[in-house]
Amino acid sequence: MILNYIKIAWRNLTKQKLYSLINISGLAVGLAVCMMIMMYVAHEMSYDRFHKNADRVFSPRAQLKIGGNTMNMEYMSYAAAPIIRQNQPTIEDYMRTLPYFRPVVVSNPLSPQEKFSEDKLLFADPAFFSFFSFKLLSGNALDVLKRPFTVVISKDMAKKYFGSQEPVGKTIIIRTDSAYTYQVTGVAENAPSNSSITFNFVTANSSLLTMKEASKYVGSQQISYGSFNIYFLLKHASDTARLTKGMNLMAKKDKTFDDIKFSMSALPDTHLKSNFGDFSNIKYLKIFPLVAILILLLALVNYMSLSTARATLRAKEVGVRKISGASRKAIATQFYVESALFTLLSFILGYLLCYLITPWFLNTLQLKIDSSFLYSPLVLTLLFVLLLLTILIAGSYPSLVLSAFKPVVTLKGKMSKQAGGITVRKIFTTLQFTISIGLIICGIVIDRQLYFFRHADTGINKDNVVMIPIGNSVGKNYPAFKRDVKSMAGISSVATSHYAMFKGFDMNFYDGKTKGESVGLAALVADKNFITTLGLQWKYAPAPNTELASRKKTVINETAITELHLPANPVGSYIKSGDQQIEIAGVLKNFNFTSMEYAIRPLTLNIAKEDDPYFSKWGCNLFVKINPHTNLPTLLNTMQGIYKKYDQDTPFEYTFMDDAFNEQYKAEDRLASIFSIFTYITVILATLGLFGLAAFTIEQRTKEIGIRKVLGASVASINSLLSQDFLKLVLLAIVIASPIAWWAMHNWLQSFAYRITISWWVFAAAGFVAIITAIITVSYHAIRAAIANPVDSLRSE
Amino acid sequence: MQEAKMIKITDLEKFYRTEEVETIALNKLSIEVKKGEFVAIMGPSGCGKSTLLNILGMLDDPDDGSYMFNGVEVAHYTERKRADLRKHNIGFVFQSFNLIDELTVFENVELPLIYTGVPSAERVKRVEEVLDKMQIMHRRNHYPQQLSGGQQQRVAIARAVVNKPKLILADEPTGNLDSSNGNDVMELLTDLNEQGTTIIMVTHSEHDARYSHRIIRLLDGQTVMENIMI
Repeated sequence: MILNYIKIAWRNLTKQKLYSLINISGLAVGLAVCMMIMMYVAHEMSYDRFHKNADRVFSPRAQLKIGGNTMNMEYMSYAAAPIIRQNQPTIEDYMRTLPYFRPVVVSNPLSPQEKFSEDKLLFADPAFFSFFSFKLLSGNALDVLKRPFTVVISKDMAKKYFGSQEPVGKTIIIRTDSAYTYQVTGVAENAPSNSSITFNFVTANSSLLTMKEASKYVGSQQISYGSFNIYFLLKHASDTARLTKGMNLMAKKDKTFDDIKFSMSALPDTHLKSNFGDFSNIKYLKIFPLVAILILLLALVNYMSLSTARATLRAKEVGVRKISGASRKAIATQFYVESALFTLLSFILGYLLCYLITPWFLNTLQLKIDSSFLYSPLVLTLLFVLLLLTILIAGSYPSLVLSAFKPVVTLKGKMSKQAGGITVRKIFTTLQFTISIGLIICGIVIDRQLYFFRHADTGINKDNVVMIPIGNSVGKNYPAFKRDVKSMAGISSVATSHYAMFKGFDMNFYDGKTKGESVGLAALVADKNFITTLGLQWKYAPAPNTELASRKKTVINETAITELHLPANPVGSYIKSGDQQIEIAGVLKNFNFTSMEYAIRPLTLNIAKEDDPYFSKWGCNLFVKINPHTNLPTLLNTMQGIYKKYDQDTPFEYTFMDDAFNEQYKAEDRLASIFSIFTYITVILATLGLFGLAAFTIEQRTKEIGIRKVLGASVASINSLLSQDFLKLVLLAIVIASPIAWWAMHNWLQSFAYRITISWWVFAAAGFVAIITAIITVSYHAIRAAIANPVDSLRSE
Repeated sequence: MQEAKMIKITDLEKFYRTEEVETIALNKLSIEVKKGEFVAIMGPSGCGKSTLLNILGMLDDPDDGSYMFNGVEVAHYTERKRADLRKHNIGFVFQSFNLIDELTVFENVELPLIYTGVPSAERVKRVEEVLDKMQIMHRRNHYPQQLSGGQQQRVAIARAVVNKPKLILADEPTGNLDSSNGNDVMELLTDLNEQGTTIIMVTHSEHDARYSHRIIRLLDGQTVMENIMI
């Protein structure tokens, strides 16, 4: 019997080629988007779960209050973990890692000329490869990091530095604060794409301890904040509450902090719940699944709408089958089987499509997903569930409708009045257009907000400013390097700042108005040229000839005046930090030194002398303002030449400040580009749906059209008559979609400190697009019906 | 002679209602048909012929009255029970043949056997048998559109009889055929009747009606006359 069903389904499919194509490809597109997002979400959710002890590994997080300020602490001192372990019996083992904060220069001593800048150097305790489940291709997990200056390299690095040779036993030079020779003791499989811990080189913490700069990272001998990621392997996953309590008790004995509160973060949560790093993924995770479900729903609705629309053509068949003894169940089963066949084909096509578009999707989101993950049992199971679900839903409504046909009616060819489901199909169409219009509105708003970010006045003149990070090999030679650059033709000014613009700031604390209150201010350290090079404007300029470069003077921004409760013009007033009285020498107009997503924070700009050793010791960035119409490639090339004179090891890097500014909105940028594609897809799907519905409805009105034509109606009047009904649905969709989209976008915009207001034209534009699309789609059928010879349509009755 | 009665309807009523108008299709109609009879039902358009046939074929249910089929009251059977009774007892022949365009001749005829759960080998045997009898064996792999009207109606009759029904309901079986093909179809029905199948046929044609044993003439949902053919 099933064979009979499949046979007739196949014959129907091949007989109605256009319909089948619309139906299968529409559903395939929806499924492809859904699969892609499903894989993405599954990947995000699967982070770090591949470790055998994933459920028992936790990282301590601390919230500490200093003065009136709450700070989050994720990293701890080197000594912290063993002390805690000693006191807390719930801990079975611990692991400390320190991802080196900047790229390092690596070379193979056998070919010392070939140096590469590499990132992801990880310092770790010796048991790293047994504590975690990273796969070692060679070397013994328990021994590889036993001695200092031993290193495990990733498979990629092994290939890069040793080619086809066996790396184990050979040496490699890694330059951190100075160059050290490491013995390669193992090769590890590259860390999977769903690992929050990544590495190219893993070396023992004991190596770090012998380095000059170790003191910078190791921190105090107590439980305190520091630079190390701490992982505790608990005896039982349920011990977290006990451990947290125990650690809080321990912290109470420490008088350094007024208040400290520990919590535990499970290893698999690290990726999504971390306080730092790239938040963009979480934004996508909230939006994409919703969009995927909407698109799949749209595709399913399309499928059901088209299937039932074609039902009139199958009505006779249903009647014949029923008088031949088929029960309603048998008919329903038949259409389910047919649906399953269509869905299966769509699914296969959708999978191929997904396979083709996934690289683009990942590239746009700047994500990497291992191909092995795409074929993992988890993903395959999810795909199977999606297939079943699609079959179940896609077949439900058509089989329900079609199996209900009464043979008495269908066999007499009186289907048109009995077709039923007209209302349902109208609801379907309205729903589809509601989704499309909603997404168009959202797309426009996102786009406008991004445009606003790019073009709003930030108070900084970002044009033609290049920022060059200075490697620590330049060191003492920095003033000389700076002089050389300054003397180049085409350069109007140079400045030095500890942080690159938009890349960070420190926090300084000052006494507030009341006793015990402390006010945290963002702090930047820069030389005095910083202000002119960036075109910052004075609100209250310092008195002429004031020496700003003094530890006892500072410059603040407008926001800081209110934050510190200072008089309207605070120049000459003092603020207190610790024991030190600091004079406010000037006030700068507010400027956005972080993303425009956030309001401008109160700021102190501490001016240092141009050749202050602070810059060479702690690292800095050179800001170079280039005259307009200068040949940039030549200029940058010359600059690189000068740089190489002072630092042969670290590669010369530079960023244009406007690029750095735009870089801050990459999450929104990616969101916008993916969103626009989704919007196109929904519009196409909705159009396909309308195309099908129009074909069906107009077919049913053939006789009416014939009579009208005989009575003298023109093609145009028939077209407008037929289009009207559909336009009403689209208008209804506009009415429904607009407030929902407004609400969603209004909420989205609330997350930005600087935002646009949503204007009325956004809704008008979205509505216009929908109406035009609808008119074109419907007119195709309407005009065809209107120019047909009425004799044919009337005879057919 | 109680056991010889296949159909006995008593005071059967059927109304069609729209918002304002109520049309009486069958007005307290009572009819009996014996096993092995060949009955023709005649009457002008709108007299209730088709409604009667639909009720007899259990495709529709009456609003009032009784319908005894083989001594069992079926007037208020559920759709499932009706479908079950139908597939084992009744074959249908229509004016417009009602073959499924996507199925071949063989598959169309096979359909009722599939729904009654006849095993595959047995199906092939029975379909071939009946196609042979209808002299359309050579067309078994063709689709309905490739056949003439007469051939299509033979396929339809083959489909109606393949399950060996006790009753065949024919709704103007020659309506779409020329006289020569029409006569062939009537001969086929007569043959079936002679082999014991009860036949009830709705027709407009006095010529066709003469093949029957008895003509029931309807007007406004009531019997106006019965002619016994000699």
